[in-house]
Amino acid sequence: MSWLNTPQLMLLEKALDVNSMRQTLVTTNLANVDTPGYHARDVDFHGEMLRAAMGGDASETSPFVLPVQGLTSRADGNNVSVDRESLLLAEVQLQYKAATSILRAEVAQLVTAIKEGQT
Amino acid sequence: MNLFRVLEISGSALLAERMRAEINSANLANAETTRTDGGGPYQKVNVVFGARPAHASGFGMMLASFADLHAEDVKVVSLVRDATPAVRRFEPGHPDADGQGYVAYPAIDPAEEMLNMMGAARAYEINASAIASTKNMIQTAITILG
Repeated sequence: MSWLNTPQLMLLEKALDVNSMRQTLVTTNLANVDTPGYHARDVDFHGEMLRAAMGGDASETSPFVLPVQGLTSRADGNNVSVDRESLLLAEVQLQYKAATSILRAEVAQLVTAIKEGQT
Repeated sequence: MNLFRVLEISGSALLAERMRAEINSANLANAETTRTDGGGPYQKVNVVFGARPAHASGFGMMLASFADLHAEDVKVVSLVRDATPAVRRFEPGHPDADGQGYVAYPAIDPAEEMLNMMGAARAYEINASAIASTKNMIQTAITILG
């Protein structure tokens, strides 16, 4: 384990990865809110984080994409729920911000350590 | 997939919804048009949306993650002329009246068109919010080192 590859940093990186992937899918769902036959999709955030925390394969950065269960389809076969997606839009954004703040603190710590050596 | 590409997905939706609103306006504007270049009354036009993969093709695909393959743009895949027969109204004095005094008017229901227009406006709004949210995430990411 190098000083730059701490488990915390790797987990935070994973959190940013999964959240940005989730943002992609929420955006895709919202873009296709009127596309006939389109089905909403999502990644399992908690499952992915758990997999990363349990030391899942580090090279496997791709989250699994799953169709969203329990949504009602409209007559045109589309099942995007605008309520669900706009809620997720806020959630993903906040989670991304939280992960970034912690990451910033970690980086600041490293920077402090580097600078202390100069004196 | 990088977040800038995500902006493009929302952008594709803005474009598609704007096109839908434009077509809708054309339908509303021509609700009483009895004469067209093709002859006969105006025929209502409908837009058809389709999901198209947003990931890069060719070499870019090598860099795409598995989940990127599920990102899809929305495109207007076709414009369909509504085949509903024209509505015939008895107006003998009208210059476009036929031998029996009937005028063929487009089969356009203003209420339906307005509803469609509202749908397009709402979808446009929600995608604009998605853009704002993605923009916020990009700005947050930039501050990591700052």
